[in-house]
Amino acid sequence: MNRALALVRADAEAVLSGYASRLAALRGQHVFISGGTGILGTWLLELIKVLNEVHGFGLKVTAFSRNARNFAEHWPHLGAMPWIRWQEGDIRHLAELPRDVRYIIHAAALTDRRLFASQPGAVAEVNGVGTMRILRAANLQEDVQKFVLLSSGLACGAQPWDLPRIDERFAGALRCDEAGTVYPESKRYAEILAQCAISESKLPVVTLRPFAFVGPYQSMQLPWAVTDFIRDSFNGGPIRIMGDGVTVRSIMYMSDYALWVLAALANGRPRETYLVGSDEPVDLLGLARLITRFFNPVPEIRTRVGQAGHDRSRLVPDVRKIQGELGVTRTVSLESALQRTIEWHRCQQG
Amino acid sequence: MSTDQPTITVCDATLRDGSHACSHQISLEQIRAYAKASEAAGFDYLEVGHGNGLGASSLQVGESLVPELEMLAAARAELKHTRLSVHVMPGFATIERELKGALAAGVDLFRVGSHCTEADITQRHISHVRAAGRHVWGVLMMSHMVSKEVLLQEARKMQSYGAQGIVLMDSAGAYVPAEVTAKVGHLAAALEVPVGFHAHQNLGLSIANSLAALEAGARIVDGTARGFGAGAGNAPLELLAAVLQRQGYVTSIDLYHALDAAELCAKLFAGSLPVSNGITIVSGLAGVFSGFAKPVQRAAAQLGVDPRDVFFELGRRKVVGGQEDLILEVASELARRAQPTPTP
Amino acid sequence: MGVKKLNVAILGTGNIGTDLLIKVLRSEWLNCRLFAGRNLSSPGMTKGSLLNVPVSARGIDGILDLKGDVALVFDATSAEDHVRHAPRLRAAGLIAVDLTPAKVGRLCVPAVNLADCIDEPNVNMVTCGGQASIPLAQAITRVNPGITYLESVSSIASRSAGAATRINLDEYLMTTEHGLHEFTGCPRTKAILNLNPAQPCVHMQTTVMARIASPDLARTRAAVAAMVEAIRRYVPGYQLILEPMTENGRLVAMVRVEGLGDYLPRYAGNLDIINCAAIAFAEAVARRRHA
Repeated sequence: MNRALALVRADAEAVLSGYASRLAALRGQHVFISGGTGILGTWLLELIKVLNEVHGFGLKVTAFSRNARNFAEHWPHLGAMPWIRWQEGDIRHLAELPRDVRYIIHAAALTDRRLFASQPGAVAEVNGVGTMRILRAANLQEDVQKFVLLSSGLACGAQPWDLPRIDERFAGALRCDEAGTVYPESKRYAEILAQCAISESKLPVVTLRPFAFVGPYQSMQLPWAVTDFIRDSFNGGPIRIMGDGVTVRSIMYMSDYALWVLAALANGRPRETYLVGSDEPVDLLGLARLITRFFNPVPEIRTRVGQAGHDRSRLVPDVRKIQGELGVTRTVSLESALQRTIEWHRCQQG
Repeated sequence: MSTDQPTITVCDATLRDGSHACSHQISLEQIRAYAKASEAAGFDYLEVGHGNGLGASSLQVGESLVPELEMLAAARAELKHTRLSVHVMPGFATIERELKGALAAGVDLFRVGSHCTEADITQRHISHVRAAGRHVWGVLMMSHMVSKEVLLQEARKMQSYGAQGIVLMDSAGAYVPAEVTAKVGHLAAALEVPVGFHAHQNLGLSIANSLAALEAGARIVDGTARGFGAGAGNAPLELLAAVLQRQGYVTSIDLYHALDAAELCAKLFAGSLPVSNGITIVSGLAGVFSGFAKPVQRAAAQLGVDPRDVFFELGRRKVVGGQEDLILEVASELARRAQPTPTP
Repeated sequence: MGVKKLNVAILGTGNIGTDLLIKVLRSEWLNCRLFAGRNLSSPGMTKGSLLNVPVSARGIDGILDLKGDVALVFDATSAEDHVRHAPRLRAAGLIAVDLTPAKVGRLCVPAVNLADCIDEPNVNMVTCGGQASIPLAQAITRVNPGITYLESVSSIASRSAGAATRINLDEYLMTTEHGLHEFTGCPRTKAILNLNPAQPCVHMQTTVMARIASPDLARTRAAVAAMVEAIRRYVPGYQLILEPMTENGRLVAMVRVEGLGDYLPRYAGNLDIINCAAIAFAEAVARRRHA
């Protein structure tokens, strides 16, 4: 367990070593993080821990989540931190924010693909109403400096197969005649709610559209390709790819993701939207091969396990806007991201 | 002259912005005489009234010599082709008390303005004018204070209420041409209705800014004869007329009569013509409403402080148009700070 | 024996009603029997529940069901709604404190006419500009007879002016002018409102002006100072920032109102002053009943 914590700590320190001084606006501030115990929330806390312990930032955090208490008990290296206030609650019923909060990160959302199928109504409600509630609460604050909304790279619809990358101006179509698109639609709605707050009360909102990520603290129960492949590898394989494995994604390491979010919080331009993620494409077959190389014996990869021909799907962002404006870069390669993630899981397992 | 040059609407605000220049003491005779000249010069609109628009005659921003409806009647009688317009600021002017009277007086165009971030307070006034079948534009004041994105968002609100034009005002005379190009261009590219620009001369850039606005897509431009207006004055109409002609823009202006109108203005308002001085320059730099020049000078003189300090402090506090009462507070505070601490 | 608190109910669970709730909970003289609105999942209702206050989503019906258990109701809904509520509250014998622009009942500015209002079945809290300026205007005109024109200018933070204020700007101005006229007898009055978007938000600032050639400055200052003290007893954030002075032929005095920050942000002094005035009235009723 200690080695796992040390690994994450090292990653957090590394990603901040080049950028911490540029986060100076956050010194001494109180940040409210909704979804504070989700994977992004956890990594944000890890980075803020470094900012406080290594860089003397004196940042206070209120971590709001449905399972704040359990999380604090389970991860005492965060749970026992005096600068974190754990607030247990449902984002749909959030009434107000602590008085001195001037920075807000709204990451609370239902993002589990299994829930999209079995409880689409709950997804719509949490992601929509939850955003409405926290925006309303933010409007009662004295002096909000920045409100970062975590939307989704899917919010603007499916990327065309022949378009290498989408950028902030991309505006595709989302079907609304089926519950299957509830997640991207709920994120689109969240974005519109934020735009309304911008228009009516000039709330300084920065909208982020994150793509795909991998890293410690990520539950392997979630049905993303990368976590499936890792979990299957731990189980000895085989890795099952439904089609030919030509689906193209990009995957960023969690430490970079968390840093980019903090950068947006400190330096993002209000009213702007930024895509967050890796712009390095990888197809599923290639991803599987990268992953299996970290296992001995190397697990088998099977393609065409299901129906072929449904996997011409691409989701890769053009992130030059956030890189140019905020001076952030991807510091961890895909290989390294996978290697560290796998090692962390190994440490967790014993 | 090229015929595919755009047609520009020229608004003569001499009898409205000029009100600021003479502490709102414009007389009926002056109105009649100047209105005739404006009509002859062929300006598209003549704006008449208190510097802060309908209903603004007050202790706050100064009382007009002549009641508003009489001013409008006097101008109305002289105008045939040139149309009569008024400036309207919700917060000063109400529909019941001011707008209805102005409609009855035969005003052709209502220019309803708000601070550049508060467009939604113009909704009812704009809607009322549209419902009455009259013309209405939206005006964004102190527009130097916010980004072009905010300006567009606010302009769109006014457009959605029924505004048939949007005028960006450089109420503080704070812009430089590049900023005008960026902001006017951004609005002109996105709005359905025409965009206008209203310049002030505090930094000596009123004509350059007006030209930049036109080149960026503005089709409406404001000016006053001899710049007769708040602070260091506006873009002088006679200069605008000359520059518009030189650049080949199509207008309804008769150049000689425009020049004559300027001469007449100089005679009519001799002694009140605006000048550029330390006060107006600092006002422009500090980004403070040009109309504050006279009240700041008065308060500073009474309280024994430097008016330029008052301007910088007002700018620091981001004071908006209509907040003239804060001048006294700021001047008093500066006076208090300057007092030597009493020896025990 | 302890103080017997007056049982009150709050109708309207928006930001203003919720801020009022916090004030009632803090009051020695008032007990909140019900916090009633239409939407159980509103932030105000959530807050009320978290504070263990009985809540109801049945609006005025919830209050009327309490029959003799409530003596006074604060109505923080809307003008249209209060016009419907007022006769029902009256029929039930409940004192109505109207925080909307409905103006069904008597205008009440505690520092000036509390005693005149205490027996009224329905009192209206005028406007924020009214609460801030009427006391000063009353003091000024009392000491300087013959004033024929009064003006009140308020500047508030843009963020403290919600959609309702913005769409009803004209009504706000006319109500304030009417209030100034009612309380001073001055024939002509004018109100002006400025919204300032500066961040950090500006506090509410109100200036009262009168056209008067030679005011009795010493007595005016004394009268205004006394009035400011009276207001500060129920609006702690009310502060005279420009003593009455003459400038350019007019008498000018200026106050700033910083909100208590109970639920509304501190910069919303304009909303806070109305709430404080409403509480002051209710507490006076409570004190009178207890005596």
